[in-house]
Amino acid sequence: MELNLNHVDYIQVGVTSQKTMKLLPSAGRKSTQKVAVADHDGVVSCFGMKKGEAVPVFKSLPGQKISRPELGGALGTPQEKIFVSSGSEVRGYTKKGKQFLTFEANLTESINAMHVSGADLFVCASYIYNHYCDCKDQDYYLSGDKINDVLCLPVETVGRIVPILACQDRVLRVLQGSELQYDVEVPGPPTVLELHDRDGGKGGEEVLYGTADGKLGLVRIAKSGPVTSWELDNEKKKGGVLCIDTFDIVGDGVKDILVGRDDGTVEVYGLDGSNEPTLRFENVLSESVTSIQGGCVGKEMYDEVLTTTYTGWVSGLTTEPQQMVAGPGEEIKMSQETQGKVAALRAELEQLQLKVLQGREKYQQSSQSSTAVSAVPVFSINDKFTLCQDDASYSLTLEVQTAIDNLLLQSDVPIDLLDVDKNSAVVSFSECDSESNGNFLLATYRCQANTTRLELKVRSIEGQYGTLQAYVTPRLQPKTCQVRQYQIKPLSLHQRTHTIEQERPMNTLRLTGQFSFAEIHSWVVFCLPEVPEKTPAGENITFCFQNTFLGTQLEATYCKGEANFKSDNISTISILKDVLSKEATKRKINLNISYEVNEDSVSHTLRMIHPKLEYQLILAKKVQLIDALKELQVHEGNADFLIPEYRSILDESAQLLEEYKKQPAHLERLYGMITDLFIDKFKFKGQNVKTKVSQLLAILNNYELDSLMEFFSEA
Amino acid sequence: MLVPIFTLKLNHKINPRMVAIGKYDGIHPCLTAATQAGKVFIHNPHTRAQRPTAHRLSQSTQDSDISLLNINQSVSCLTAGTLGPKSTGDTLLVGSQTNLLAYDVHDNTDVFYKEVTDGANAIVLGKLGDIQSPLAIIGGNCALQGFDYEGNDLFWTVTGDNVRSLVLCDFTADGKNELLVGSEDFDIRVFKEDELVTEMAENETVTSLCHMHGSRFGYALANGTVGVYDRTARYWRIKSKNHAMSIHAFDLNADGVVELITGWSNGKIDARSDRTGEVIFKDNFSSSVAGVVEGDYRMDGQIQLICTSVEGEVRGYLPASKEMKGNLMDSSIEQDLIRELSQRKQNLMLELRNYEENAKALPGLSEGESKMGVIPANTQLQTALSVRRASESQKAHIELNISTPNETIIRAVLIFAEGIFEGESHVVHPSAQNLSGCVRVPIIPPKDIPVDLHIKAFVGGKTSTQFHVFEITRQLPRFSMYDLNVDPSAPEPTGKVTFCINDRPQRVVMWLNQNFLLPEGIDSPDVTFSALRGGGLLRISLQTSGEITLRTDDIDLAGDLVQSLASFLAIEDLQAESDFPVYFKELRATLTEVDEFHSVHQKLTAAMADHSNYIRNMLVQAEDARLMGDWRNMKKRYIELYDLNRDLVNEYKIRSNNHNALLARLKSVNQAIQRAGRLRVGKPKSQVITACRDAIKNNNINALFKIMRAGTTSS
Repeated sequence: MELNLNHVDYIQVGVTSQKTMKLLPSAGRKSTQKVAVADHDGVVSCFGMKKGEAVPVFKSLPGQKISRPELGGALGTPQEKIFVSSGSEVRGYTKKGKQFLTFEANLTESINAMHVSGADLFVCASYIYNHYCDCKDQDYYLSGDKINDVLCLPVETVGRIVPILACQDRVLRVLQGSELQYDVEVPGPPTVLELHDRDGGKGGEEVLYGTADGKLGLVRIAKSGPVTSWELDNEKKKGGVLCIDTFDIVGDGVKDILVGRDDGTVEVYGLDGSNEPTLRFENVLSESVTSIQGGCVGKEMYDEVLTTTYTGWVSGLTTEPQQMVAGPGEEIKMSQETQGKVAALRAELEQLQLKVLQGREKYQQSSQSSTAVSAVPVFSINDKFTLCQDDASYSLTLEVQTAIDNLLLQSDVPIDLLDVDKNSAVVSFSECDSESNGNFLLATYRCQANTTRLELKVRSIEGQYGTLQAYVTPRLQPKTCQVRQYQIKPLSLHQRTHTIEQERPMNTLRLTGQFSFAEIHSWVVFCLPEVPEKTPAGENITFCFQNTFLGTQLEATYCKGEANFKSDNISTISILKDVLSKEATKRKINLNISYEVNEDSVSHTLRMIHPKLEYQLILAKKVQLIDALKELQVHEGNADFLIPEYRSILDESAQLLEEYKKQPAHLERLYGMITDLFIDKFKFKGQNVKTKVSQLLAILNNYELDSLMEFFSEA
Repeated sequence: MLVPIFTLKLNHKINPRMVAIGKYDGIHPCLTAATQAGKVFIHNPHTRAQRPTAHRLSQSTQDSDISLLNINQSVSCLTAGTLGPKSTGDTLLVGSQTNLLAYDVHDNTDVFYKEVTDGANAIVLGKLGDIQSPLAIIGGNCALQGFDYEGNDLFWTVTGDNVRSLVLCDFTADGKNELLVGSEDFDIRVFKEDELVTEMAENETVTSLCHMHGSRFGYALANGTVGVYDRTARYWRIKSKNHAMSIHAFDLNADGVVELITGWSNGKIDARSDRTGEVIFKDNFSSSVAGVVEGDYRMDGQIQLICTSVEGEVRGYLPASKEMKGNLMDSSIEQDLIRELSQRKQNLMLELRNYEENAKALPGLSEGESKMGVIPANTQLQTALSVRRASESQKAHIELNISTPNETIIRAVLIFAEGIFEGESHVVHPSAQNLSGCVRVPIIPPKDIPVDLHIKAFVGGKTSTQFHVFEITRQLPRFSMYDLNVDPSAPEPTGKVTFCINDRPQRVVMWLNQNFLLPEGIDSPDVTFSALRGGGLLRISLQTSGEITLRTDDIDLAGDLVQSLASFLAIEDLQAESDFPVYFKELRATLTEVDEFHSVHQKLTAAMADHSNYIRNMLVQAEDARLMGDWRNMKKRYIELYDLNRDLVNEYKIRSNNHNALLARLKSVNQAIQRAGRLRVGKPKSQVITACRDAIKNNNINALFKIMRAGTTSS
């Protein structure tokens, strides 16, 4: 079914966080709905649309940044009270804008997720979950990793209170009172939770989640345990999911799933007969979509998908046809409406311009004074630095409220900067003086006009660690730039997993010494990504990781005075050993390091690499032949004389080329890792084999698994 | 939204920039393009009748509309158009690195086949200046050559470097065409027949040129820049991270003015207004664009814009109809306008907020209290340029010193400048321990060009995360790598050029002060510099009679100085005498080498002919032996044949090395003529070039040097 939606802009508010726009329930069946948006300036704005004009209902006073608004009200009545969380405070407004509640949650941190259900209030700061009923403390839970979102199954249908936390360590934690009932493992760090069909489906137990790496899923939180209905992979490498809603936009009686992502993608998924989601509609906005809601706003009778973006644009994708084919009269009226709008805007601009000129003059004057200071407020940057599982590279996205003028990237570790198609900025690499100033990468991006969002890709090498810094300069007077830092960790290509296969041949590294639990934890944080910064509760802890590039695994178990690391990849162990001993020496802690090398693990790792390497080699070979074969084809007029193998290369040439383009330098990276493996294997034996690396490369050039294994065992 | 009116998949690759449309029978337009394996294909969908396969032309077996033309050399450029006065249809012209073929497709005959030693990188067909018949003008290694329909070369001149693009246009608005030449030394030169009218310096290889209308033309550079010039003034330019493959002028929105259509390496096609560079239309191919041409391909009287991709996809676009009102993009103007205005409003409000917050900042707010990067309001950045001689640790350079007057530090310096860095920017980012209020940037301009340095300095405190950005523009004079401090023991330069001017000496002093980097101006026109880039001295002296003598061993520098001074003093014609003994000696050696390489070339060709005869005999003998069943002999013959083949391959390698060496020598001879020309201005310049060419044609080497010295043939 073809879905045709047209883009309409409504208003612009301040910078918005995730899930900060809600549609109030409509008063009558036919009338349009009001929109409530909360932004970083602390303003809650509520407006409705009348004849294409945004009519404000109320607007609260500016204050601290609002992290989340929620709709509530007594159970069974229309949910039209607006609750907002800002700092550690929760405020309540009626739909007319009258503030009726101020509640100080007395948290040390600010609230970043909230859920309201009747008289129950659920709030979460980074690691803490609190449940209040009628503003009285009920339950409390301390999560092992950061909480991104909170939800409670509908009490009316389920009959009990089931809070669910979406935690950064790839699990949904289902609570019962102050206790953990069970964990639900999900394929990525969940960022958003939403009740399916807005009421949790038939049993009220169905929950939709979206992850930071762009995956979607539906899971049923039954009393006995979780049941996964479906999971949707992110094959096209779209952005992470920021918001979800369910609404029947297609109009076929089945609710569709609306998804907003941080790369600006808006998607509508329909559910087919077997309840599997299929993509019905896709539209790409220029900045990240922070909230999405389905409803009726612009014009009665026409449903639409309402979105807000990071810079505060509230816009709709409406089913209303944009230009009526009614006749010329209608069109003139339409432009008259906009003409009025434009004129009003222009007048406003002129006034602002005057004010700005005055401000500018004053600012200039202050530069004459010797005591005055220039202090420009910090502008907000929405940034994300994540590891992409598919190509084992980091993607860095930066988003600013106004257009970016230029970006300077600096790194003190060797990294590769990859080209991203979406990125239209002109990149220029500058010469690096790595010796005197420790720069390994200096690159500038000069952005095209109106670029508010930049996406970059960075490839790191395991074992080489340091900091990547991004200096962002927006096109805003007085010109300032802000620096953001990103750690490239020693085991940068590792990712958290839930379990590891114990039957693999493992190498172990054992540390003992006079170190505290907090110390060893901080070292693990230093070495590995996706580990919570806070020291975990309890005596000891185990984390599992997977190398995204090779698929090898690592298990870290540690407590006060002792740490054990197990991995089937000897290079991983070697890197850990080097980094940890260096860190310990820095803090003057005596470490006893012992290790056990399993000879089988090397051949096991080589066997794991083998299919990847072979595939890449064959691909490279085929791609190399394409041009020559095509030339032969042109020369001879057809390809019938070729052997079937070559003919199939010709037939598949387009796919082969695409595949090859997708994985730049894949082969070189594999070679590099095999070389590391080779060196590390013998390092543990106390031998330096760097002189033999050229022989190894020669073998790799005529690759055969057996000869490579032989070389590893012989040398 | 404008959509293509036809799309074709030709199943032949298309070499970039080698696409043309020709009406070979005078009626039917045929798309012609160079493809792999030294072939040219002609797509003729109009007359499907089988043509006889003979001579060069053969029918493609895959597609009946396509005929293939065998060139047997890799094609480097092609075009089609009217050349001969009597021929019915267009002539196809195909250039390769050694030959130019003019071909009559309709009659299937060669019009002429010429050897061109300087190669043909670019070709253009049309009338030039007062020359009666249309010329096929090719640009090769530093040389331009024009042939009429009989193959006579009626036009020849030299230019600064390898020619990459050519276009004919009435630049001077005198009703006659001038030739515009884009070359690898980043210059666009305008020739009125063989007289150089003007040159415009760009900052990368000029890859494409196209005539827009009147004296306006578009250009594209190898670094992704496209833009439009009107005469010598640049109207606009834009830079993309992709490369412009082909540019073409076409009136796509039917407003009576042509737009600049650009085909990009990422497959994008865009149309930009010739006045502003604003994009009015864009479309995407799945692979890089190969060429953009126009023609009435449907034979319905309307001219279409025809775009081709390297994979052989062809799309045709009709100019927009009146109903579209020039709005070719899929968006509503009103929406865009409102959005733009709102964006501006938002920007102004943010700026205003900056001033308000700044006014609130109290004097004496110390750095520790905020990370905002508070600096004293009276901070001003000082910059100074100075010439630094080579030291043990550093090469000779120009030092840019940037410092703050107070305790603030400079976190990083970005310099954007064209043509002097590897990319478009240079970054200095001191490490944390080297932070200070002063940054020294060494700059080494590779050529003598005036450069604007756009400096952005990030100023703040040591621990700030936000910095003030200071933006300053400094100009680097053209001859900045010359130092007034002269080593007294340096040998006197032997080369010199002498000419007379009728201007006051003060004007020369003024020129010196503007074009050299002098610490504190000078007041005498007699000065001596030491050249930091090439070494050696530069001595400038002015007699009271107005005779200026420039002494240097660098003939290029002398030429640059003469050109710069002449344009400063607005001299139109300048005769000069010169002598560069060292350079002339080298040139003499080169000329002897050219002769040697020529004779070797002839010998090798003869040897090859012998060999191929021998092979023919041997093959017959071997096959005879095979038919007779004389296996021993057959084997012997074939072994001999194999050896002979190997010899041939080796000989081929020698031949190609010899050829490359010859080409390099010829290029330097052409450059020598160009350099001799650059020592003069206007008429005398073109006279010198023509006279030099005649001397070389007549192989009169002594006359050549005489001309280079004296500037005239007589005397």
